Amino acid sequence: MAVNQGLSHLSDHFLMITLVLYFLAVLAFAADFAFGKRSSAEPAEAAVPELVTAGAAGAGTAGATAGPAAGPAQASAADLGGAKASGGTGRPAAASRPSLRDASLWVRAGLGLTVLGVIAHIAGVVIRGLAVHRVPWGDMYEFVIAVTCVAVLFFLGLMFRYRPYRLGLFFMAPIVIIIGLAQTVIYTPAGPLVPALNSYWLAIHVTAITLATGTYVVAAVLAVVYLFADRHTRRVAAGLPVRNGEVFRLLPSPERLDQFAYRTVVFAFPLWTFGIMAGAIWADEAWGRYWGWDPTETWAFITWVVYACFLHARVTAGWRGRRAAYIQLVGFGCLLFNLLGVSLFITGLHSYAGLS
Amino acid sequence: MSRPPHATSRVTRPGRAVWLGLLATASALAVSGCAGGAIAASTPASNGQSFVSGSPGTTLYQAGHGPAVPAVSGPLVGGGRLSLAADRGHVVVLNFWGSWCTPCREEAPSLAQLARQYGGSGVRFLGIDIRDSPASAEAFMSDFRISYPSLNDPSDNLALDFRDTVPPAGIPTTLVISRSGRIAARVIGSVTYDGLKSLIQRAVAEPG
Amino acid sequence: MTETSRMTETGAAAAEAGQQAAAPPEPTPPPPGPAYGVLGWLRWGWRQLTSMRTALILLFLLAVASVPGSLLPQQGIDPAAVQQYYASHPGLAPWLARLSLFNVFAAPWFAAIYLLLFLSLAGCVVPRAYRLARSARALPPPAPRNVARMPQSVRHQTGQDAAAALAAATAVLRRRKFRLRTGDGWVSAEKGYRRELGNLLFHLALLGLLGAVALGGLFGYKANRLLVSGTSFANTVTALDEFHPGRLVSSADLQPFTITLNRFAASYVRSGQLRGQPTSFNAYLSYSAQPGAANQRYDLRVNHPLNVDGVKVYLIGHGYAPVFKVTDGTGKVVYDQPVPFIAVNTSGLTSEGVVKVPDAKPDQLGFAGVFLPTAVDTGGTLESVFPAPLNPRVSLISYKGNLGMNSGPSQSVYALNTAGLTELPVAPRPLAPGQSIKLPGGAGTLTFTGYRQWASLAITYDPGQLPALIAGLAALAGLLLSFFIRRRRMFVRAYPGPGDRTVVDVGGLARSDPAGGFDEEFSRLAEEFRVAYAGETSEGKTD
Repeated sequence: MAVNQGLSHLSDHFLMITLVLYFLAVLAFAADFAFGKRSSAEPAEAAVPELVTAGAAGAGTAGATAGPAAGPAQASAADLGGAKASGGTGRPAAASRPSLRDASLWVRAGLGLTVLGVIAHIAGVVIRGLAVHRVPWGDMYEFVIAVTCVAVLFFLGLMFRYRPYRLGLFFMAPIVIIIGLAQTVIYTPAGPLVPALNSYWLAIHVTAITLATGTYVVAAVLAVVYLFADRHTRRVAAGLPVRNGEVFRLLPSPERLDQFAYRTVVFAFPLWTFGIMAGAIWADEAWGRYWGWDPTETWAFITWVVYACFLHARVTAGWRGRRAAYIQLVGFGCLLFNLLGVSLFITGLHSYAGLS
Repeated sequence: MSRPPHATSRVTRPGRAVWLGLLATASALAVSGCAGGAIAASTPASNGQSFVSGSPGTTLYQAGHGPAVPAVSGPLVGGGRLSLAADRGHVVVLNFWGSWCTPCREEAPSLAQLARQYGGSGVRFLGIDIRDSPASAEAFMSDFRISYPSLNDPSDNLALDFRDTVPPAGIPTTLVISRSGRIAARVIGSVTYDGLKSLIQRAVAEPG
Repeated sequence: MTETSRMTETGAAAAEAGQQAAAPPEPTPPPPGPAYGVLGWLRWGWRQLTSMRTALILLFLLAVASVPGSLLPQQGIDPAAVQQYYASHPGLAPWLARLSLFNVFAAPWFAAIYLLLFLSLAGCVVPRAYRLARSARALPPPAPRNVARMPQSVRHQTGQDAAAALAAATAVLRRRKFRLRTGDGWVSAEKGYRRELGNLLFHLALLGLLGAVALGGLFGYKANRLLVSGTSFANTVTALDEFHPGRLVSSADLQPFTITLNRFAASYVRSGQLRGQPTSFNAYLSYSAQPGAANQRYDLRVNHPLNVDGVKVYLIGHGYAPVFKVTDGTGKVVYDQPVPFIAVNTSGLTSEGVVKVPDAKPDQLGFAGVFLPTAVDTGGTLESVFPAPLNPRVSLISYKGNLGMNSGPSQSVYALNTAGLTELPVAPRPLAPGQSIKLPGGAGTLTFTGYRQWASLAITYDPGQLPALIAGLAALAGLLLSFFIRRRRMFVRAYPGPGDRTVVDVGGLARSDPAGGFDEEFSRLAEEFRVAYAGETSEGKTD
């Protein structure tokens, strides 16, 4: 079936609109830092006790750290009155979760622009799929656009569930840059797939990889913000001079950021594992072997191993916190090399970048 | 994870030795081939050569104990048909060859000479030509003055016939078949004049 | 045990020494403990190997070790690229080869890493599996004294008496499928044992995966065959172009199928920006699984392999095979067959190849050149601008002399060794189908009679494939179980309180909660309890 050029151009227009809307959202989030309310609805979360993750030291230590924080949390629970009558639900963050109404105008504008942008984004992706009569992630350009769409959707989910509004700037700014690069540098016109890609496995394998990558992007942003926030907290505790203190006061605590990052990786890791397995099954159908150490396969394996290291590090004493975050970022670097570097620099069976 | 009870300095050196020992053991295992797995490559890629040469060597079978040769028959290069069964009761030298195969060309003069030498005394020579067109096959036979006939096997039917007995693992392969129709010897790789001569004599000397 | 007692001994001794001496006490050197012995050291080493930190390091090493395998050309994947690397880095390449860097994944040091890793894994997981099996029916621990100190806790007050309140809470927990343990005035509940099961399933599945890979490597094989249309081949070693058997595979183990390529068809985009990009490849085959079995037809395509007798046949490449007829100096036809040419560029499928006629008289003849499917004259040079054969031309250089095929090492059929050859002075002219080159000096004639297409097939047999799939699925299932099931405990204590009221302390603890969400479950459960014994909340604590 021939490619529908009209729909292809329509898709490009929608993605242009997406880029503009995201850019405006970034401006809005930045303006919130510059001009928005200083006193946030979120109380100081410096004393949030570390929730039991794995290898818990046991009820004792958890109980001990819970003590001092129980006070303000109880107070705020009491403040909210009968709002949560079943008693003691959620964490202080939940008890103090700022409702959208309390957020500054800039934040609301930023979120609204992001939501509009993601609608245009989804439209752009879907229309491109209609234009080429197949799943719209068949070359590098389409893949990057799809990944950013997944990342923004995940970010919005995070926003509406846990309300860390001020992370908006740190998410959307790299997204804008990535989409901008995608539109200019790696844009390929809509076209049919090469025969090697013409299989229903494309929908399964690349979809899983796309979802996993989008989620890993979110986790990486969280890890970076965590590292800066953690460094800031340490410097404050040591009495050293700090910069941009107001920014960090408005962000969630390092522990919360670390926890978000961990949970995000927990969501992405099985998807990535499934994506590799689906890729292996597809490779067997297409090339005659389920694993041949093709550069893309090798780097996908390396990425998997590094993220597995991260998950193991989280349950190993002495490796939580900063070290685990570094491992996660190394994993993200491997991911980027896997998806972009290998296609662009190394020739292998996976070179479908579509670039000449 | 427990630690030995005394000072660490005394501990690490033996500890490192244990580590190195484990690593060495694993490496030795890997090298000795227990590693296995599709990851461990076997033969290297053939670098564009269009045939597979098996590992060279001669296999001898005890008189009367060698595998029975299958009943092969087919069209001859140059026309006509031949069946191996017709040679029952004679010692037969069966040679798999191709005109494009360098070791086959290398051994061809020896085969031609031995065929002329033993032809009178009842030893039959037969060739099976692999992956050749009739024109190239005939040109080869006239070039090396090969007087004995060759069966044409463009679709590997004859090679398939042999898979249950002694598979010709690559070419050239030469089989020496005794009078009873059992394989007496197999040579993978090119034969030498002396080598093949001694195998023929051994088969001729076999009783029955 | 002995270590701690020894510690206290030395501590006591040091304290005494400190009391008695007036001068500042000298630091007592730690007394030497008993020698560990070989068995002791082995056990220590084993515990080090199976520790989580070692697993982390080995895991990371495995990833790092894979990096050169993806950046340097590998012998098993692209031997031509390895040769090119040797040519462009003559000093460095032999050193890299000594370190097995051109065959990383078969290197002994790579095998050592993953073997140690799996040893560490097995050594940790198998005992844990054993322990899990034994503790499968173990009861949760008794409720702590002060349930209010749990990370999640709430205090209710109810008019019912303690026993009734506890019974109500127990009923709720039982309904929710918790494992229960009751005591005097308390009930303790635990749920989520399947998490450990999932964890172990995942790691054991990885071991199974390694076993499946080993199975394939021992009993499986891979082979390649280039098949010109109109010809056929059988799955025997003599008929294959490349054969990579597993360690325990012999040539008698090959399944005896026969495949004929009836016709090969390729279609390309004809116009637009993507002109020349292939849209489909079809290799129309007939095959029979055993000699004598009926012939069946199959349309072999990319992503659509043929499954015959447990073996899979894949279409991995294609090209053109021009047909040449060579008459030698004596007038005899000494060569008449198609010659596969290999494509050197993908846009127009310009293909290179050689023709060797070793039995031509009086001199051996050789030809080397290109086949252009759609030949177009672009400013003096001939180029192929489209991959379909719209205007096929062949252009050859002719040689005579010694091809080097009568003795010495085997040659590639795609390369001509011109060392013993002299080039013939023939006027360069691209041949259309039907045209000939007349060689000077009565050396002979070559006629380009036509062309056919060829398809290259990959033949693989991997008995470990299905076990690997099962292991992979089991690993995924285990992963999901271990991530999304949380191991959590609930404790309820009921005791008489102020007035005639009974105080009920409800506490909860999530032992491992990677995906989060225990706090919501706790509050839901606590609310259910409250409703069950009709109580009111008097205090709540959450973190």
